[in-house]
Amino acid sequence: MRLADLIGLTPAMTLFGLFILLPLLAAFVLSFFRWNGLGAPHWAGGANWVQFAHDPVAATSLVVTAKVVALSWVVQTPLSLALGLFTAGHQRYRAVYAACYVLPLLLSTAGIALMWEALLDPNFGGLAGLSHSLNLGFLQQNWLGNANLALYVIVAIIAWQFIPFHTLLYQMGRRQIPRVLYEAATLDGASGWQLFWRVTLPQLRYTIATSSTLMIVGALTYFDIIYIMTDGGPGYTTRVLSLDMYQAAFQQDQFGYASVLAVVLGVLGVGIAMLLIRFTGFASMESQQEGAA
Amino acid sequence: MSPARGSKPKSASRRWPLTGTGAVAAVASLLLAACGSAAGSGHSGPGGTNGTSVTAWIVTTGPSPINTVINQTVSAFEKSHPGDHITVSYVENQSYKQKLQLAMGAGNPPTIFWTWGGGPLKQYIDAGDMQSLGHPGWTASFLPSSLGAVTFGGNVYGVPIEGTQPVYFFYNKTVFAKAGLSGFPATWSALLADVRTLKAKGYIPISLAEGDQWPGLMYLEYLTDRIGGPSAFDAIEAGQAGAWSSPAVIQALTDIQQLVRAGAFQSGYDSLHYSGGGSDALLYSGRAAIQLMGDWDISQVLGLNKSFVTAGHLGLAAFPAVAGGKGNPSDLAGNTASYVAIASHATSAQKKVAEAFLQDELATSSYAKASVGAGEVPVISGAAPLFAGQQLASYDSTIYSSVQQAPSFQYSWDQSLSPAEATTMLTNLAQVFELSQSPQKFAATMDSQQGAS
Repeated sequence: MRLADLIGLTPAMTLFGLFILLPLLAAFVLSFFRWNGLGAPHWAGGANWVQFAHDPVAATSLVVTAKVVALSWVVQTPLSLALGLFTAGHQRYRAVYAACYVLPLLLSTAGIALMWEALLDPNFGGLAGLSHSLNLGFLQQNWLGNANLALYVIVAIIAWQFIPFHTLLYQMGRRQIPRVLYEAATLDGASGWQLFWRVTLPQLRYTIATSSTLMIVGALTYFDIIYIMTDGGPGYTTRVLSLDMYQAAFQQDQFGYASVLAVVLGVLGVGIAMLLIRFTGFASMESQQEGAA
Repeated sequence: MSPARGSKPKSASRRWPLTGTGAVAAVASLLLAACGSAAGSGHSGPGGTNGTSVTAWIVTTGPSPINTVINQTVSAFEKSHPGDHITVSYVENQSYKQKLQLAMGAGNPPTIFWTWGGGPLKQYIDAGDMQSLGHPGWTASFLPSSLGAVTFGGNVYGVPIEGTQPVYFFYNKTVFAKAGLSGFPATWSALLADVRTLKAKGYIPISLAEGDQWPGLMYLEYLTDRIGGPSAFDAIEAGQAGAWSSPAVIQALTDIQQLVRAGAFQSGYDSLHYSGGGSDALLYSGRAAIQLMGDWDISQVLGLNKSFVTAGHLGLAAFPAVAGGKGNPSDLAGNTASYVAIASHATSAQKKVAEAFLQDELATSSYAKASVGAGEVPVISGAAPLFAGQQLASYDSTIYSSVQQAPSFQYSWDQSLSPAEATTMLTNLAQVFELSQSPQKFAATMDSQQGAS
């Protein structure tokens, strides 16, 4: 590695070390102590880790987090792909639609949470009003208080917030596919559906890998909207691991135990990201356009 | 794969390092100059030229007249103590405890801060974060019972800033009249009957903001007291084994679930938050009839819908008695007062100014009179004459005399218990309200938590 390379890497590596590696290390060390935020931490050995192994609430949180991650991917990827391919085209008024689809990206997370909370209020909210005026009974629900619905409502709102971002990724990915491939396939007699499966999707392989990694790791650690809207409720049905960690640290004053949860989250996130990169062939950086003119 | 390197003009590649370095150097020197001048000015510290700056954190749940009174009091203090400044920050209720805990742990809390006293305050005292006021004579102007939550080891650590806040049933008198109900029910069974009547007439019987979890706790506090007397919670607070499984607690939880099954609460009660006035809106808009809430609600509803309060539509009633219960129907539950305390992480000049503010402003009858005008019931001795002629006179007199006569005034459970136990209690109680946990399961969970800190 040349000196110029090292110098160029230094700022990024410093920031990475200071703000990512060091806190992760500190969390790992803190997980072996008991601390309530005031005064000095007390050595606890592996007690926090044993508590984690036997904690039913943490187990529920892991399950809920897995559900949120899986549902987020299943909901967001097809929709983002479809929208991205649409906005990459050349239809009339495409630009107008594209501008509308990007709107949620411009809103702050807290603003989105408060806005949807107001809309979903069963007594004063917009959906309740709509159900009265259009006489659609199924719109009148206890969206955030019903244990069966709350999780799916949260997944839907998270999807609303992030689909525009992934749409942009897929739009850019689609635009980079050379026309030559489509022309060659059409000459060979490919139908529209075959063009999608045999040309578009394989060419979008790395875009799908990027988008999926961001989506999965993001959903793993997602906190804001869930905290503002349901705070883990009703019961424990929307209590994701990051929320459990926050409550352990700041409401139950158990910073050591919260550090255990933080380390678990960190390890899960890094592990999943590495697996995804390995299995999508991202790491090998093979060219997508071998043989193209 | 690599682009043809020869395509770049040689002059451009030689110019870039020079102009690039020059640009970086220019920006860097500008930044250093800016930092240098900023470091030189510094921040106004203790006894700078003339006075001291002190920060204060006050909790608020929304637009409240008492905030205006506090601002006016601060201005008056700054006039009589020239050069001293108090900067007040109003912090939202739900996240206040975490915010303060973080500031305390980091060693730079506000000098004056709001506290509910009790267990959390004791935690700060034990960690050495609190400034003791000793036992000065000027604190005698407060009702002796009101200082209980902030007195530890004979030393007073805080002073009331907002008045006593017992919990009462508030009801919409117009809705009651329309539903044909005369006055608030005096017994639990009468309350259930009235709930059914209101529901049949198409009203929401009771407005509940269980999304915040502590409003539901008020039902548990009162029912336990009415059924088993104050000793039921005293046992829990003392950490006695099996205290949560006492018959009084189990019966109280069963009664709560009976209320839920009767359809007393509005749709979505378990996700509605109190801050922002959602549950109040149901009451003053005439859609709901009743709400169990602390008396700060009078001030909040006054700020949200002034005419509703001034026209006398907001009724106030004591929690009903339970037939066969051991508790006195005059017992109260709630916050004995809301306090401000002084942190020890401050310069001695700042602590002096803070103590002067507490002594010269908050302990005076003029502050008490101003807070009465804002809907508070101050815990100053001999405050009864202050209520005369005020717009909320009837409420204040009722509340003040009920506090004076109450055989027992139980402090809110989530303030008395340790934070870990309180959080578990609130989360599991919310499940009881949602009918997804039985009273027995709740008691078993809390008993196994007993003593956990």
